[in-house]
Amino acid sequence: MKKRFYYELITILIGAFFFIVYTMPFIRSLVVSFMTWEQASQIPPTWIPNPFILENYMRLFRIELFPKWVINTLVYGSIVSISNVLLGLMAGYSFALLRYLGRDLIFNALLALIMLPMFVTMVPLYVILAQLRLIDNIFALPLLGLVGVNTVFMAKQYFLSLPREFFEAAKLDGASYIRAFFEIALPMAKPLIITITVYQFLGAWNAFFLPIIVLKSPENFVYTQGLNYAFSRAWYVEYTPIIAGTLIGSIPTLLFFIIFRRFLIGSIVIRTYRR
Amino acid sequence: MSLKNKYHVFFSSKKHRREFLEGVLLILPATIMNFVFGYFAFIYTFYLSFFKWNYITQPLFIGMENYVRAFNELIGGLLGARWYEAPFFIGLRNVLIYTAIVVPIQTVLAIVLAAIASSRVRGSSIFTTSYLLPGFTSSVIIALIFIYFFSQKGFINYILNLIIPGFGYPDWLYLKSLIIPAMAIVAIWGTSSNLAILFIAAMQSIPRDVLEQARLDGAGPVRRFIHVVFPLIKPTVVYAIIVGTIGALQMFDLSFVMAGPQGGIEYSGMTVVLDIYRTAFLLLDPGYASAKAIVFLTLMYIPTVLFLRKYGGGFR
Repeated sequence: MKKRFYYELITILIGAFFFIVYTMPFIRSLVVSFMTWEQASQIPPTWIPNPFILENYMRLFRIELFPKWVINTLVYGSIVSISNVLLGLMAGYSFALLRYLGRDLIFNALLALIMLPMFVTMVPLYVILAQLRLIDNIFALPLLGLVGVNTVFMAKQYFLSLPREFFEAAKLDGASYIRAFFEIALPMAKPLIITITVYQFLGAWNAFFLPIIVLKSPENFVYTQGLNYAFSRAWYVEYTPIIAGTLIGSIPTLLFFIIFRRFLIGSIVIRTYRR
Repeated sequence: MSLKNKYHVFFSSKKHRREFLEGVLLILPATIMNFVFGYFAFIYTFYLSFFKWNYITQPLFIGMENYVRAFNELIGGLLGARWYEAPFFIGLRNVLIYTAIVVPIQTVLAIVLAAIASSRVRGSSIFTTSYLLPGFTSSVIIALIFIYFFSQKGFINYILNLIIPGFGYPDWLYLKSLIIPAMAIVAIWGTSSNLAILFIAAMQSIPRDVLEQARLDGAGPVRRFIHVVFPLIKPTVVYAIIVGTIGALQMFDLSFVMAGPQGGIEYSGMTVVLDIYRTAFLLLDPGYASAKAIVFLTLMYIPTVLFLRKYGGGFR
C-alpha cells in the first residue's frame, strides 16, 4: 500500500511538471498581454502587470483589418463545416451501405489520396484557381476543402457501425436510397456531424499553407495570416499587441476543445481502431 | 409468389440499376472534387516538372533539365557549395536534423503524457486538459508566442540560465546554429500534445481486466507498462512515428513564421517545402518547383515504405 502511495506521488509530481510546461506559454502570454512592452521585456521576468493596461488589446482592435480577418475566417470555417457534413456524409453513406459496381475501387482511390501531401499539388491548385479567377478570393479556400477524404472515411466508418436493419426496413418500404439518407441516416449521425464540424472549423481557423498561397491582399487574409502579416510588417516595435492577438486567436479553438473534449477523443478511437 | 420469384424481384436488374445510379450520385461531389484537386493536380505537377514556365508565357519543354538542376543542387550542397547556390540541399539538411530531433522526443513525450493522463491519479483530468491544449492551437499562433519567448531577453533564456548558470543570452532566431533547434522545441511542444490524444485513445481501448490481471500477478506500474501496455499500443507507436516523420519532413508553418519566407539568415531556417513554395511563388519558376516536389516526395516515401515493411506487422 505504501509503495502504491509513492508511485502515485511520483506520477502526480511528473504530471504537475508537465502541467506547468504545457500551460506556461499560455499563462505567460496572458500576463504579458496586460503589460507595457517595457515591463514585458525585462529580465528577470515579472509576473504582475504594473501598470495594468488594456492598451495592447485596444491597439489590436484599432487595426482596421482585424475584424475583416476574423470574418473571413468565420466564412471559410462555416462553409467547409457545412459542405463537409453534407457531402462527406452522403459519400460515406453510399460507400458504407449501398452495393454497386466500382464502389470499393473508387473508395480505395480516394483513401490513397491521404498519402498525397499538399506541397506536391500546390502549383496546379494555384493554376486551377487562377483559371477560375479565384486567386485572392476567400471563397477559393472552401472550394478546395469542400469535402475532405478524411471526412468521407470517418463517415463511412460511422455508418458501418450502425445496425443495418434501419436501412433494410426503409428499402422494403420502397423509399429511395437518397430519401433514406435524408430521413434515416442524417438524423442518426449527430455525433458524427458534431465531430466533423469541430474538426473542419478548427482546421479552417488554423489553416496557413493554402491561405498564403491563395490570398494576396491584406483585406482578404484569414486570421493567422493577418496576425503574421501584422508582425512581419513590423507595424509594432513592441511585441505585446501580437501576444494579445495570439490569445484572441486561440480563444475559439480553446472553447471548442473544452466543450467537445469527449467527442474528439472518442472520434479518434473510431478513426484508429475500427478500420 | 414463390420464394424464388420474390428473390428475383428484390434483386432485379432494375433494382441494381437504381442502386448504382443513386449510389454514384451520392459519391459524385466528393469523388470529383478530390480527383481534380488530388490526382489531376498530381499528374499536372509531374507534367509541369518537364517545362520551363513563368505562369504567363507559353511553357517550354526542357526534358529532364529541372531534375538535373535539383540533383545538382543536392550534390553541389554535399560537396560544399555556397549557401545561396544550394537552398534545396540546405532545406533537406535542416529538415533531416529537425526530424531527427523532433520525432523521437515527441513520441516518447506523448506516451508519457498519455500514461499520466490515463493513470487516474488525483488531478489527472486537469492534467489531461492542459496537455491537450497546445495540440488544438494553430501552429502559427504557437510560433508567434514562441518568437517572443526565444528573444534575447526572453523567457527561454531566463529559464535556461536558472537551470544552467552561465548559459548566456543567445538570440536564438538570429543564430544560424540555434534557429532549427528553436523550431524543434516549438514543434515538440505542440505535436507531442497532438499525438498524446492518439495514445490516450489507444490506452483507453486496453481492456481493464488485462491490466487488473497483471496487477494481481504482482507487476508494478512500470513493469505493467513495459510488458502489458506497450505491446498493446505498439501499432499506435508505429503509426505515430510514421505520421510524425511525414509531418516533420514537410515542416513549413514554423519556418515561414519564425525564419520568414526567404528562409532566414543564409537559409539557416530553410526547409524543403519552404524552398518549393519560394521557387514556385517568389521566384516564379513553377516547373523547377514541381521537379523539386516530385524528388522530395520520392525521397520521403522510400524510407517510409521500408520502415512499414520492417515494423508495420501489427499496423492496419
